[in-house]
Amino acid sequence: MTRLLREERNGRSALLTMNLAPGKRAYNEDLVLRGGVEFRTWDPFRSKLAAAILKGLPDDIVREGSRVLYLGASTGTTPSHVSDLVGPGGVVIGVEFSPRVAREFVERVARERRNVIPFVADARDPSRYAVSKVDVVYCDIAQPDQTEIAIANCRALLAGSGTLLLVVKARSIDVLKEPERVYVDETAKLEGAGFRVRSLTELSPFEKDHALVYAVQPG
Amino acid sequence: MSTEPTPGSPEFEALRQKSIAEAEAAIREASSRPDLHLVQAIQALDDTDKYLNVTATRASEWYGLHFPELIQMVQDNIALCKMISEIGAREGFSKEALAGRGFTDKKVDAVLEARDRSKGGTISDGDVGRVKALAALAVQLSNLRGGLDDYVGSQMKKVAPNVAEVAGATIGARLMAKAGGLDRLAVLPASTIQILGAEKALFRSLRTGARPPKHGILFQHQAVHTAPKWQRGKIARTLANKIAIAARVDYYRGAEDASIKAALDKRLESIREKYKEPPRRKPDPSGRPRKEGRPQRREKFRRR
Ligand SMILES: C[S@@+](CC[C@H](N)C(=O)[O-])C[C@H]1O[C@@H](n2cnc3c(N)ncnc32)[C@H](O)[C@@H]1O
Repeated sequence: MTRLLREERNGRSALLTMNLAPGKRAYNEDLVLRGGVEFRTWDPFRSKLAAAILKGLPDDIVREGSRVLYLGASTGTTPSHVSDLVGPGGVVIGVEFSPRVAREFVERVARERRNVIPFVADARDPSRYAVSKVDVVYCDIAQPDQTEIAIANCRALLAGSGTLLLVVKARSIDVLKEPERVYVDETAKLEGAGFRVRSLTELSPFEKDHALVYAVQPG
Repeated sequence: MSTEPTPGSPEFEALRQKSIAEAEAAIREASSRPDLHLVQAIQALDDTDKYLNVTATRASEWYGLHFPELIQMVQDNIALCKMISEIGAREGFSKEALAGRGFTDKKVDAVLEARDRSKGGTISDGDVGRVKALAALAVQLSNLRGGLDDYVGSQMKKVAPNVAEVAGATIGARLMAKAGGLDRLAVLPASTIQILGAEKALFRSLRTGARPPKHGILFQHQAVHTAPKWQRGKIARTLANKIAIAARVDYYRGAEDASIKAALDKRLESIREKYKEPPRRKPDPSGRPRKEGRPQRREKFRRR
């Protein structure tokens, strides 16, 4: 049984994730029943992972039982869906630096979902949240040096042949460079660090000047 | 990490609850508004400075009726007040009483000699007691001041590390106090930050058409007041720009960002280079000599 559903709605693809906390919303998403099971709508305009999946990123990277380190949890929108996807046998370690946005993440996502472990911490210091090795590092922290930060986290916590999903926001890396140029430079950094870059998914029209890089760390 | 907890196990749940509790504690701490305490502390520091000055000056002036030579010989007001409060009348000054105060032997001898041929008058026990109490208060205020200063320095590092780095802890805290908190400072435009603390001059300029102020609190920054006059406005503007960025990063992100200070230093360098020479006055096209001082009132703002 898959915890991710795709549907056609008004001629467009829509995504749903199976609600790990039935009856509970993490933000203002819709709760719907499919085959007697509760799912939550997953909006690609609000979640870059949903956007990437709709634009062709393989949907079995984050799957049932995955252990995911989520850097830049923010208010927990995407982490809540990752929590749905990995299910009761998976783990989401959610790291958010800013206490102001972490409040909602802790209250509405971590408290309600038994597979989520929250940390109010800086992603530059992985020792603060080194509770488990993980299968996937998801990084969306919008920092100029986030690729380096992501690599350091993979070194510290990603299991052999694990996956890195890195959201690249061109403008937060370098406002003056062309987005394509930024993507090339950042993927080159990953390759230089020994990662194999499998794909780069442009997120338009859901996000402007954003891409999601899918890379694998050699085992 | 050696014992990796299995999802769903009691150990896993215990770990999760512990993380939630710690995260909530961090969130609570952030929402207790440490910036507002900092704002009170910097104002208390500035108040204390004033009281300290007044009290120490009064104590030394009063004591000077009795032992004027000592006032002449000891420049440091706090050290002086310490002596007055601990030793009291002239007769109490001895080698032992002066030991451990950081004086050279020569200085100690000079004080003792001054004691013996002092031109000061006699003083009653009652008045000695009153001056001693006043001097002791000055010493206490000085200790209070030191504590507040340490607190402002260390709290600024925690609450607004980037503002502290760019503006300096004390000036940064004063800006925050003027704005009413870090949240307010974070939304102020740089042009307002530049003249925070110069409200009087600003209103005068609006009213009379006089030139607007170039800096307020920021004048206290050494990059501004040590610069030649013609660079000060530009430097204050640059400083204000970077402080505005720093305040936003501190408020919304909370992480240190060394690139702000680096960009500031670079920009200051280029201002100092580019405007090394004082500007030459442009000749007035009307041929009349340029008026010094405040320009005349503008028609629009003329008072009725
Ligand atoms: C673009 S948002 C993430 C949005 C989220 N991934 C989602 O889709 O719901 C970036 C987040 O990263 C956080 N962040 C920035 N720098 C960080 C750091 N060094 N460590 C941890 N979090 C950081 C920011 O506070 C912000 O909440």
